[in-house]
Amino acid sequence: MNYEPLREKLQKGGTVILDGAIGTEILRRNVSWADHQLASKPEFVRGIHEDYIRAGADVISTNSFQLSRRALYNHFRDDAHRHHIGAKDLDERANLLLAASVRLAVEAREHVAAKRPVAVAAAITTLEWCFRPDLVPADEQARREYREIFGVVKQNGADLVLFETVNSIGEANVAAEVARELNLPCWVAFVPAKTGKLFTGETLGDAVEAMQKRGVDSVLLNCAPPDDITTGMKELAPRAKVATGAYAHIGRFNPPEWMFTDEYPPARYQKECAGWKQAGARVLGGCCGTTPEHIAALQALR
Amino acid sequence: MYNELRSRLDRGETVLLDGAMGSELVRRGVRWRKHGLETDAESVEALHGEYLAAGADILRTNTFQLNPRLYLHVFRDLEHMRQIGAPGLEHLVPKLQKTAVALAKRARTKAGADGKVAIAGMISPIEHCYRPDLSPPYETALREHQPMAEVFAAEKVDFLLAESMNTIHEAKAALAAGRAAKLPVWVSFVIGPEGELLSREPLADAVAEMEKGGAEAVLVSNAPPADITRAAGRMKGFTKVPFGAFAHIGRFSPPSWKFDFHPQFIDTEAWPPAQYQAEARGWKAAGARIVGGCCGTTPAHTRVLGEWLGRR
Repeated sequence: MNYEPLREKLQKGGTVILDGAIGTEILRRNVSWADHQLASKPEFVRGIHEDYIRAGADVISTNSFQLSRRALYNHFRDDAHRHHIGAKDLDERANLLLAASVRLAVEAREHVAAKRPVAVAAAITTLEWCFRPDLVPADEQARREYREIFGVVKQNGADLVLFETVNSIGEANVAAEVARELNLPCWVAFVPAKTGKLFTGETLGDAVEAMQKRGVDSVLLNCAPPDDITTGMKELAPRAKVATGAYAHIGRFNPPEWMFTDEYPPARYQKECAGWKQAGARVLGGCCGTTPEHIAALQALR
Repeated sequence: MYNELRSRLDRGETVLLDGAMGSELVRRGVRWRKHGLETDAESVEALHGEYLAAGADILRTNTFQLNPRLYLHVFRDLEHMRQIGAPGLEHLVPKLQKTAVALAKRARTKAGADGKVAIAGMISPIEHCYRPDLSPPYETALREHQPMAEVFAAEKVDFLLAESMNTIHEAKAALAAGRAAKLPVWVSFVIGPEGELLSREPLADAVAEMEKGGAEAVLVSNAPPADITRAAGRMKGFTKVPFGAFAHIGRFSPPSWKFDFHPQFIDTEAWPPAQYQAEARGWKAAGARIVGGCCGTTPAHTRVLGEWLGRR
């Protein structure tokens, strides 16, 4: 229901504005992001969603980056070890937090009550670390896990899945197939390397073709510096039949946190986005390091 | 300083290891980034100071799970790290190690404990301490532990503690790295739910290998008190060097973000200091000559151990 206006807009060639970063925005506001703050500071997370809606975002994405059962389980040798020394709620925690992440975005939409349609995208990334294609799990294992994750976000009111920061076509295929099986609209955002290809060496042409075959409504580029997004967009846009999009990170990754720089203030970031639009992109937003001010600046590109 | 510690052990005295650094810093609200060494140096130093005041004979540097892979891991590769990572990441670990030693030393000097308290440079598994399946082969582990051991040697720690080792081969590599850096080495092992190493390798084999490699002490750690009690009870049967024991309390509650390690332990109230002391008395009775606290323990736990051992 909240997705239809978006789909129509894309089909008509309109421009859709995404939100900006949520994880790094939590940090910029001087709060630790260790537990996503979904349980400990829900009003704080919801407040950031609300700021993005006020800044004009058509899509807000949930605060659920890397939030999965696997992320928690990876800290233990096996089930026996986790049950022996781990927190007692670990078997349920990931799904409860995922559900909360969707609900907070839905609540933010209700609170701000924008007069325009705003869609809630469940932001889901790769099962293993987003920059490490060497760690991608086997297809059937990944399928089981995505069925669970996408099922939870759908049940809690997500309008679409934004499968983001993806490093291989294989994992994207599985996720897109699961989304289709659940009738959940799906957008997929790949990380472009400097070369304009994926980290695996696969081409964006092959990636977009695989996604189109699986019913993905939009293919995007994200989590790379603006220059790499520009290079990637030249590869992606001419080969895409579906709408393409982009959201770059700005600043530098300083694990486990983010280093904010003043290299891309909103006006300069807007110029980069204008260039991607020129190249064919219709979905524009911000990845790590971007703020509600960056999203407000993108309104001029509609 | 190490000779003094060594002779106390040889005389059959019980020495007191400090308690947890990481989990206690997190409990106190330190935002876990770069082990707090860049942003919260005062808190790190103050916590060392509290362990000293509580009677610890040994301070461990706040370097658990700190190694270059911790940062490199989250990038595609070194080139990607240089491209999108914060400047200087690839040279960060030795810097943090030096800061960690300096903070422990400063706390020791301020407490007037120079010459009385030893500082252990702490190295731990190259991969996650709870994931023996990820431990690199011996040669790789040796190559990666070596530079860290050398930094600790150059910073003049009193000895090296290879802590929370989860496989025999990596413990051997860490031990060899410390010996090559001319540091006395102690090794502690994560005890798994089965009572052996977390890798399921027999504890007795691990001890034998460590003794063969020149370890000066072997400890059991990173498991709940009851497990440590059982493991400590077996150590005497197959250990010739001094051995020790320290348990974690509460439950490991990892972050929902996918970090390599974030030392958060919850439900630690289940083990108040007095109860922990009662358990530690059992370890001493079983022959352990080194006792202390692992994740979840606090200076209050060290204090009751210190009182029992006559440190205060």
